[in-house]
Amino acid sequence: MNALGPGVGDVVERFELEKAWLVDPVSGREGPGEIVVIDGVLESVVWLEGEEAKGVTDKGVVVAPGFFDLHAHFREPGFEDAETVATAAAAAAHGGYTTVAVMPNTSPALDEPGVLERIRSAARASGSPVEVLAFGAVSAGRAGEQLSAMGELADAGVIGYSDDGAPVRTPTLLRSALLYSGMLGLPIVEHAEDLELTANAEASEGYVASVLGLAGWPTAAEVNAVSRDLAVLADALRDEPRVRLHLTHLSTAASLDLVRRAKAAGLPVTCDVTPHHLALADEWIAGARRWAWEALAADGSSRDPWADGALTAPPYNTSLRVNPPLRTPTDAAACLAALLDGTASAVVTDHAPHTVVDKEVEFGKASNGVSGIETALGVLLALVDAAKLPLARAIAALTTGPAAIVAGWPAAATTPAARKRGLTEGAPADLVVFDRADRWIVTEESLRSKGKNSPLIGRELPGRVLLTIAGGRLAYEDPQAGEE
Amino acid sequence: MSVDTEPAAVAHAAGSAPTQEVVWHHRHLLDVDVVTWPEIELIMRTTDEMKGILARPIRKVPALNGRRVTTLFYEASTRTRVSFETAARNLSADVVSISTATSSVTKGESLVDTIRTLEALGAEILVMRHSVSGAPYLAAEVFGGHVLNGGDGWHAHPTQALLDLYTMRQHLPGGDLRGRKVAIVGDILHSRVARSNIWSLTAAGADLWLCGPATLLRGMDRWATAWGGGAIPGHGRFHVTSDVDTAVRDADVVMALRIQRERMQGGLLPSLREYAARFGLNAERVSRAKGEAIVMHPGPMNEGVEIAPDVAISGRAVITEQVANGVAVRMALLYLLAGAHEGAHAHEAGHAHEAPHAREAAR
Repeated sequence: MNALGPGVGDVVERFELEKAWLVDPVSGREGPGEIVVIDGVLESVVWLEGEEAKGVTDKGVVVAPGFFDLHAHFREPGFEDAETVATAAAAAAHGGYTTVAVMPNTSPALDEPGVLERIRSAARASGSPVEVLAFGAVSAGRAGEQLSAMGELADAGVIGYSDDGAPVRTPTLLRSALLYSGMLGLPIVEHAEDLELTANAEASEGYVASVLGLAGWPTAAEVNAVSRDLAVLADALRDEPRVRLHLTHLSTAASLDLVRRAKAAGLPVTCDVTPHHLALADEWIAGARRWAWEALAADGSSRDPWADGALTAPPYNTSLRVNPPLRTPTDAAACLAALLDGTASAVVTDHAPHTVVDKEVEFGKASNGVSGIETALGVLLALVDAAKLPLARAIAALTTGPAAIVAGWPAAATTPAARKRGLTEGAPADLVVFDRADRWIVTEESLRSKGKNSPLIGRELPGRVLLTIAGGRLAYEDPQAGEE
Repeated sequence: MSVDTEPAAVAHAAGSAPTQEVVWHHRHLLDVDVVTWPEIELIMRTTDEMKGILARPIRKVPALNGRRVTTLFYEASTRTRVSFETAARNLSADVVSISTATSSVTKGESLVDTIRTLEALGAEILVMRHSVSGAPYLAAEVFGGHVLNGGDGWHAHPTQALLDLYTMRQHLPGGDLRGRKVAIVGDILHSRVARSNIWSLTAAGADLWLCGPATLLRGMDRWATAWGGGAIPGHGRFHVTSDVDTAVRDADVVMALRIQRERMQGGLLPSLREYAARFGLNAERVSRAKGEAIVMHPGPMNEGVEIAPDVAISGRAVITEQVANGVAVRMALLYLLAGAHEGAHAHEAGHAHEAPHAREAAR
């Protein structure tokens, strides 16, 4: 019927799963249970106890609500050689995602409703049931000069505004954008980067960049931008109580600390972190391939990959070139701490597929970005396996966390985008089934995304996704699932 | 900074007796970081032999007869390029010389495509100079032959570091750098020469001091701190300072690095005049080094800026010796790399991972 795989897009007529580990972040409950899906509806969720629950652990097959990615790049329109809505939706479903909000840095930019309609029409044509939401651009053409068609975009259904890929260019424009979007009840989603400090920058400034001779990308660039954004937010809040700011893909201990304090002071700000900033570190560019938490010394400082003999791969892999750059293991630990204490309430993929033309080049010339929507779950499960993150928190960061952020945006709060993402009986089935014990090797072939720019290629990850159901329809089914 | 504070491992590594069974196994030479001390000694011994050839009336041997060496320079360079090409011709190799100004690169051809094309045209040893750090590692992944890094961005210039080391050994008793103070003064931040010298000189057991204005040392302090405890197997620590007198005092070797005019525009330096006054190697500063100290410069020099003209031509200066030794070192490396070719086929599958294999061997 379609290119996505047999049955994809069809209503799931009947699916039963006995004795799995259910995680429902809405009720806060997790444990052994069974689910039954009939005609696309989650007919029953049964929690098992006593003898029936015996042998069911959280180490095996897990059922969770479908994941919600608040930040991805689907590249269409304009960059279809890197990714299309159809390939990205397939990739998302393979990653366990049922809802994805895409960024507007397409070509043309999503700065007026016509572009949104093109994306929606591509999503419909793909046959994938993965729900595609969108952010509109803050500025016309993302040029940082005048506001985009914000009101029309709101009417058309964008869930917020961002010039992602770059920050809102000036504080003056940011103030206007916050006020105008606040009036509309929608947020500004900010890519926090002081471009003046990052001109020609290649890797996070510090030991690794120094040894590799890469131009330093200072943490001050992010701290400075977050600081500006928070100051402008506080200012705009006096004029418009509905202003909302969401800071995306924060990567440094210092910028997260600014957000922590701003939230404590009552500012309407939220933030997220990415799997790669949680689990990878700048030492990967030198050839290290250990997880960030394995590169942390007992006192919280970063270990030395040269001293440890931890360099096992060739250096300068351009899949590791990303904006913001991979930071130190200490910063990665700060991202995790922010997730655990609620400063960051979502994990977003910043899925950024690129062609080989843009990545098979000199490190300093490579495009920024990681193809990550299919590996996010595996990376978070690696954190869970290492006892750094409880399973329920990992699931919440992929489901209720982003949903709660959207629910805080006045005009989006009543839309389906903000719906509670739990295992709710009687609702359309929207869930993912994965097996924590089933490890899979990331290969170019295994990635449904056209973007093969994953630094995890060749690595084994826990948690093969067996099934993804979005809005009652089949989104992904593991090809081997029916063969046993 | 005394010999006593040097980690034992370094003293051991640098002091190990020359072992004749050391075999060159690197397919490429991208930096000196993965070259072990016994391998560096092998390079030094091979360079001795090449010096012997250069002393003959006819400076040509057939060692690389029929082998094809291609120089691919994405950055302007005179001495490095001529040095490599002279070295290759002295070994009777066929030399193809490509500079980006006259190649398809100006038509937008990617590095990978350029290298595949050169390989199809028969290149066996690729000598590459590139303005982007790490570019030779990309080349090594796609090229079927040998890549010899002629300098990449700010990252590495291994042949320069090796010729520097060779030149220092010639002038130090017993050719031994252990505990010898080496001061490198200049634009450390942007210097691939400094970075490669950090690896080789800390392996040699030298007491290494890097010196420059704070704006041109950015990030290096964190590197020096990381290595401060002697943490890196086979490498000692080094020092970073903005106090040129501290760096030069009682030094056995003083090396100046070129200061580029672009640094003024970037707001990193007030003026060349101020740099010369505060950091330039003049006779007075050099007099604080040891009486028999040598003065080095990788060239090209800005006389009157990082080095005073009288210092550059003084009896202490070994700058032209560096140039002459550069040909011998490059002959040695071309010879070793070409010789490695026969054995390389057995390890074909692992060629993209030559660096980690080399690292394994280093431990």
